[in-house]
Amino acid sequence: MDTMVLHKGETYEHVFLNEPAVNLHIVQEADSCVKIHVINLGTPEQRDTEIANRIFVEHCGENCSTEIYGLACLTDDQQETFETHVHHLTGGGTSNQLIKFVLDGQAKGHFVGDLKIAPDAQHVEAHQTNRNLVLSADAQMRTQPQLEIYADDVQATHGASTGQLDEAALFYMRQRGIGEQKARQLLVGAFMKEVLDKLPTTDDERLTTLLNTIDGVVE
Amino acid sequence: MKELLRIENLHASIAGKEILKGVDLVINEGEVHAIMGPNGAGKSTLSAVLTGHPAYEVTSGSVFLHGKDLLAMEPEVRAREGVFLSFQYPVEIPGVSMVNFMRTALNEKRQYEGKPALSAKEFLSLMREKRKMLELADKLNNRSVNEGFSGGEKKKNEIFQMAMLEPCLAILDETDSGLDIDALRIVAEGVNRLKTPENAAIVITHYQRLLDYIVPDFVHVLADGKIVKTGDKTLALELEEHGYDGIA
Repeated sequence: MDTMVLHKGETYEHVFLNEPAVNLHIVQEADSCVKIHVINLGTPEQRDTEIANRIFVEHCGENCSTEIYGLACLTDDQQETFETHVHHLTGGGTSNQLIKFVLDGQAKGHFVGDLKIAPDAQHVEAHQTNRNLVLSADAQMRTQPQLEIYADDVQATHGASTGQLDEAALFYMRQRGIGEQKARQLLVGAFMKEVLDKLPTTDDERLTTLLNTIDGVVE
Repeated sequence: MKELLRIENLHASIAGKEILKGVDLVINEGEVHAIMGPNGAGKSTLSAVLTGHPAYEVTSGSVFLHGKDLLAMEPEVRAREGVFLSFQYPVEIPGVSMVNFMRTALNEKRQYEGKPALSAKEFLSLMREKRKMLELADKLNNRSVNEGFSGGEKKKNEIFQMAMLEPCLAILDETDSGLDIDALRIVAEGVNRLKTPENAAIVITHYQRLLDYIVPDFVHVLADGKIVKTGDKTLALELEEHGYDGIA
């Protein structure tokens, strides 16, 4: 694994789209900014692979900011592990993580969220959220948040939830004449939207195509 | 007068408990029927069964809409055939915008009827026109369905959807609950304006108040899963005065 150093005030933003594995180690110096988007939509060529993403970010200077957005839509026998390590070693920094899994078939999802705030890292604001939608009886989700907070003057939140499609919403949509399949698509699209809305505007052709495809469902 | 809906000896249960115990009701085109009754009488169950809610099981009886077997249809097909329920508790759908929701619903119905989909321009101007009628703010368009709407906005939004879909049978389930008098007037005016000689409405309510605004042709009292009394609009006033105990 290569280590990337972000020097004072630098910004790094990258979209990883349908990549088999993302393995990053980023060391942030003061006032640097990181935004990482990892989107895996379970394309046919990905169906048989086991995906392991590992993102390790260290704040080594004051006032760094880190945002990590992940979305995995898995089906059939697909498996994905999404591991984040966000270590606040210095004060004044912020981190925000939003990781979502949509699981169908016999897919397996695994989220490991390691968040550390060192004793001297005061005035840190750190949020970690993992939300998962399980569409079939055989799909499985495992969530392991690991929070170690040693500084006392910080704001840290974490939330994890795994659920199924909202049956009341589904019936409401069908009562308006929307077919069951279409209603499900709309609800799944709405679940994904929160992560996709964070994507930067880009001229990446693959991303434009992707968003247009999802737009057909979502908007 | 042409028959729109025929309910015959309808029995239905939820989780093994029988709620409807033999409901008979015929509704003709152009009529407004009020269904009143004490809590737990089965009023909301009737609307759930007519719209095909999966939690309820019809154990016997039949329902025909324009002569077609309604109970054999999926909920979305019933809707496309023109059955509309104004929900007592409209559901919030985060992430699905009102525009997208409504456009999908309307175009699925049009497709079912063999009509072409509306263009974005046609659709938006239709929305604008119907929204005005309900005095609904434009900003609600881009918000998620019902999310963060006030109680009054949710109920207006139900009637707005009814205006968009132009159902032949509208079921208003406790539409007056939680409404202040101004919202009630707007909602009732909306319902009245949507009335045509071809469509009909079932107004389910606990209180007589709504019936001052939406005047029914018939009032039925539902008690313990059956219609125990039928009369004209004066029956509602009688109930208001003497309560359900004298009847049920």
